[in-house]
Amino acid sequence: MFTAETLTSWIIFVPTIFAFFLVFFEKKAVEAMRVFALAGTVVTFFLSLALIGQFTAGDGGMQGLVKKEWIASWNINYQLGYDGISLTLVVLSAFVFLVSMLASWGIEKHVKGYLILFLILETGVMGVFFALDFFLFYVFWEVMLLPMYFLIGVWGGPRREYAAIKFFLYTLAGGVLMLIALLMYYFGSATPEAMAITGHSGGSFDLLKLAEMAQSGKIFSPGLQVAGFILLFIGFAIKVPTFPFHTWLPDAHVEAPTPISMILAGVLLKLGGYGIIRIAFPLCPYGAQVGAYALVAIGVISIIYGAFAALAQTDFKRMVAYSSVSHMGYVLLGIAVWKISEVTGAAEGRDYWLMGMNGAMFQMIAHGVSSPGMFFMVGVIYDRVHHRDLNQFGGLSGLMPNYSGMAAVIFFAGLGLPGLCGFIGEVFVVLSAWNYSKTLAIVSAGGVILTAGYILWALQRVYLGPVYKGPHPEAITPMTSREQAIGWLLIVPCLVLGVYPNFVFNYTNDSLTKLVETLDSGYQNTPKPNTVQTTQK
Amino acid sequence: MESLGNTLANLLTIAWLLPLFGFVVQILFALRWWGRKSKTAAYLAIFCIGAGFVCSSTAFYLWGEGTDWAVFKPSEHGHVEQADAGGADHATAGRDDPEHKITSHESEKQAVFAGPLYTLATFGNLHVSLDYYIDSLTLAMFVMVTLIATCIHIFATGYMAEELVDDYVDHQVHTHDGGHFHRPGRFYKFFSYMSLFCFAMLGLVLAGNIFQVFIFWELVGICSYLLIGFYVERHSASTAANKAFIVNRVGDFGFIIGLMILWTSFGTFSFADQHGTNGKVQPGLFSMARGHDGELTKTADGKTVVLKTEQDGHGHWEAPAEPSHQKTITYTLLIVAGLGVFGGCVGKSAQFPLQTWLPDAMEGPTPVSALVHSATMVAAGVYLAGRFYPMFVPEVLLTIAYVGCITAFVGATIAIVATDIKKVLAYSTISQLGYMMLGLGVGGWGAGLFHLITHACFKSLMFLCSGSVIAGCHHEQEMTKMGGLLRKMPITALTMLAGVIAIAGLAIPGTSIAFSGYHSKDAILATALAYTKLNPIHFLLFVVPLLTAGITSFYMFRLWFYTFLGKPRDQHLHEHVHESPWEMTGPLLLLAVLAAGCAIGGEDGRLFKMLTFSEPVGVGHGVDGAAAHTVSLPGHAAVHESHSTAGSAALLAAFIGMSISYLVYGKGVINPADIKRQAASVHAFLANKWGFDDLYDVMFVKPAHVVAKFAAAIDKFVFDEILHTFVRMGIAVSKWDRKFDEGVIDGIVNLMGNSTYSLGISLRNVQTGKIRQYVTFIAVSVVTLFVLLFALYPKG
Repeated sequence: MFTAETLTSWIIFVPTIFAFFLVFFEKKAVEAMRVFALAGTVVTFFLSLALIGQFTAGDGGMQGLVKKEWIASWNINYQLGYDGISLTLVVLSAFVFLVSMLASWGIEKHVKGYLILFLILETGVMGVFFALDFFLFYVFWEVMLLPMYFLIGVWGGPRREYAAIKFFLYTLAGGVLMLIALLMYYFGSATPEAMAITGHSGGSFDLLKLAEMAQSGKIFSPGLQVAGFILLFIGFAIKVPTFPFHTWLPDAHVEAPTPISMILAGVLLKLGGYGIIRIAFPLCPYGAQVGAYALVAIGVISIIYGAFAALAQTDFKRMVAYSSVSHMGYVLLGIAVWKISEVTGAAEGRDYWLMGMNGAMFQMIAHGVSSPGMFFMVGVIYDRVHHRDLNQFGGLSGLMPNYSGMAAVIFFAGLGLPGLCGFIGEVFVVLSAWNYSKTLAIVSAGGVILTAGYILWALQRVYLGPVYKGPHPEAITPMTSREQAIGWLLIVPCLVLGVYPNFVFNYTNDSLTKLVETLDSGYQNTPKPNTVQTTQK
Repeated sequence: MESLGNTLANLLTIAWLLPLFGFVVQILFALRWWGRKSKTAAYLAIFCIGAGFVCSSTAFYLWGEGTDWAVFKPSEHGHVEQADAGGADHATAGRDDPEHKITSHESEKQAVFAGPLYTLATFGNLHVSLDYYIDSLTLAMFVMVTLIATCIHIFATGYMAEELVDDYVDHQVHTHDGGHFHRPGRFYKFFSYMSLFCFAMLGLVLAGNIFQVFIFWELVGICSYLLIGFYVERHSASTAANKAFIVNRVGDFGFIIGLMILWTSFGTFSFADQHGTNGKVQPGLFSMARGHDGELTKTADGKTVVLKTEQDGHGHWEAPAEPSHQKTITYTLLIVAGLGVFGGCVGKSAQFPLQTWLPDAMEGPTPVSALVHSATMVAAGVYLAGRFYPMFVPEVLLTIAYVGCITAFVGATIAIVATDIKKVLAYSTISQLGYMMLGLGVGGWGAGLFHLITHACFKSLMFLCSGSVIAGCHHEQEMTKMGGLLRKMPITALTMLAGVIAIAGLAIPGTSIAFSGYHSKDAILATALAYTKLNPIHFLLFVVPLLTAGITSFYMFRLWFYTFLGKPRDQHLHEHVHESPWEMTGPLLLLAVLAAGCAIGGEDGRLFKMLTFSEPVGVGHGVDGAAAHTVSLPGHAAVHESHSTAGSAALLAAFIGMSISYLVYGKGVINPADIKRQAASVHAFLANKWGFDDLYDVMFVKPAHVVAKFAAAIDKFVFDEILHTFVRMGIAVSKWDRKFDEGVIDGIVNLMGNSTYSLGISLRNVQTGKIRQYVTFIAVSVVTLFVLLFALYPKG
């Protein structure tokens, strides 16, 4: 029943099916609805595990391809598939949704609506990861937007409306830029040369075919690739988010309820990185190479800037939000360390670039575990004392020893301690960067000092010291068993990934090797405007 | 020999992983299974590390047997060469000349064992893995670390016993109502952290590649953080823990840069040669840089180093002659890489200018200071500098020498004025670590590491003695309140005296009968003297450490006289002082024996031979840097010549220091308070630790917070403001749009509506309902249409 071909669709739509049945629940059956929604996320998670079972190792290409006609006159298809890159992110997302659903037990307001939107959001996310048709990708991308808007805007904190609109505007702007690029590529692929690849007349939305055209280097002009890359990059960079498009993130995180923050940090940010790897780079290898230095620089600035900004925060959750900006900077840095030989145009030290790419993927997965963990830990204490002022905590290690121990492990994972997940991603990315640019590599290495600074300082203010200094000291109670379970669910992958990084690399390495090769040849095949001029001279 | 390598690797791996097992059990289950008041957690920790000691000793014995104890054979020919392609490394094989090695190749046995443990990741041709690298240095470190750790664990069962309660009163933390802070005891937690530390430290020593060193480097760092901040309720403790970790990260920043350079230029992290997947042997870092003769291969202009990536007929690594096959690194980059890695060592070993964290680290319980902050972790920097020695070019070594020299001096001067018994020892540790670095930097590879081992013995002894004093004095650490403790705590006092004599470097003149510190310090000073003879411009590298040797003797005896002799300064305290129980004095006695005797025989003794057996190739005959306009390094022969001079000078300095100390603090001929008054400004300067903390606060900490606030403000007032402006513009446009809508578009629509309406009104007159009139209309219309049709229809 479950082949790779059907599993992808099941994973996308199982949450929607559960959401549909939720409609029929009695409004007062809150507990039943929660359990039912949890079952939905559990089923999705196990389906994603089943997909791992279907995965053929050693094959860097797309697997489980599905292609059904959707809007024939526009060559739009319902086209799905997955490789190591999407698979790891799908499993991560299913896991984060599951854990976040467990963390949603505290939501008391309009439970039914919350759960339905939650599950629809999961459908949108999974759709984005599996879609191989640009139009379908765009549709799923927009499908995610609305549930998230409402989840922040209705269930959020005091400034929820501001945060929700800010999130909405930023993401919408990104979506519009993507739409323009999508149309550019659609009409750009309507040439006779392109027909040889697509096999049909008119433009194409097929991401695989478009990437093939980009690799051939003859169909998309350098100008188109540069323009397309800028549009796509900004569209995705907003989601990552990188400096200077990041200011929606702290507000969204601070206002969002804890489980939504966990999803935002654990899943939605990864879509930006995924979009860059899956669409922006393959469709515009020339543009990506031209922009590589800017990308690396933006990544490094994000690392340092985010860390500094985190150091200055007094709101615990805001600090964690800025740590996301800093940590996601490594993703961009790792993806973009594409050095070429000025003479041949071939990649120089391609293995280092491959390492950077793998490091970036690992960093996404690692951050996808540690960051929700940090937000959860903030949520646990916020639920009790209803404030997040870093200067008004203290002494929690004595009052809540289990909680403090778990939080310490999670925060150490964020700090990049070896043996925990944060280390591998960060250090692999940084090590790969020297090959690209010495200056930027040195600056990025400086991040280790700042990260230690803001995390240890926060730990000291919150957990250490003799007494709790803030309001509601009477409300500080030990973790409930549900909270402990969530804590363990987040700690275990932190440890496993930190000790056995091949858990990710086994899946990503083949796909990324192929990607790197494709991009390398794509750039070499594209005629360069500069070289044309020099030959004319 | 393969099987011996496997056996050794297995034994050391067991010794390495046992403490990890102990940690996991203790942190997860100790409280549940045994409760707060049980010592079982401590016994488990002792078992793990003690078993580790047994494994390490066994490994050492097997290794000795496997090499026919060549290590201790007196002749110069007794060195052992590892087998070819055994995954081992040529650069650290033996100490005599390379030609000799080739000729006696057949009879020799492998002494260096290296191999993979665990693959972390593979990207194309790049491999990141955990490996092991076992030579005599590894074995010596394993035995030393496990032995000293076992002693300290046993000591700690007594020292930490007051934590075995449900209600521990922390007298250093005051609550709002003026009382002391109460909390449950954390005996098990202390031992779990200690076990984790042992795991990390042994992993660092076993590491077969520089990346693995970095991994465990960070792990010992976090253990140090946890143990310094063990009393989490004390603000001073948690601040010191943060400081230790962050200052170490500053050093690690350099370490990472070094790693990046090596990784990108060499393409491997491995110390030793490795078997590639294709069956070919891949050269390790040392082989690529130094080959079999310890020389760098430079291009004609001397600016680029060609890496030795091809094997010749003898299996020696050589630089390819064909330029297109060459893998190169610029000489500058090699310097930067060396300095970067050394930067990590500066942080970990509390060298100038990053020494400030170590004194603060004394906030941790005293056994921690003994194990982590004197014997093992802080020595890891020296260990790495020794391990990574083949990668250091003379310029880097010169930097190391000067950093060590400055550190030795700065640490010693501050120790003179410190009054907290642990702080004196902390500054003394900094100073002694400086000695080790100096030794390495001036070309005394064996001397520096020799001092590492002897220092570990006598300094851990002295820290434990101070712990015994502190426990006896009910947590009083100020020496100004002690005095006359000799009779109350005889074992502590006498063992401490052994440590003091050892560190001061006293010996019976004219003989080689001396405690361990004399031998190792003598070795360092002899090398330094030989070095300054070759490079007269760097004469300070001998003069300053010699002076420091005198200062060391002075402040260490000051500590001993202050604490154990004279009259009690605090009578009330004195009455309650008691000697510590056997589990604390036992380890003291054992360590005292080690401190006195571990270096017996000096440079002809077994310990020194054991260490120098792994000496990197080329150290033995020195380096003549005159041609390359750089410093020269003394060979063994040159060092040997300087021995008697340096030894006498050092001994003289030590005796002078001791005598002054006796006059001032023992006999009371001169009142120290007078000197303090006379040199008030100097005293203030030293007591303020040369002002480093204030300087760094102004230079780095405060600016970092300012930049941080600035970054946060940019977000708020620039990026958000831009967004808000856009939104305001959008709203303004919409308002304008509404006006346009209502005024213009609606106006037009209304106009059209109105005119249609009026047209309808006027047309109403035509609708009369009379058939004849309609027929007329139709007829006229038809005719008109036909006329139009014929008029307009295209002809033909």
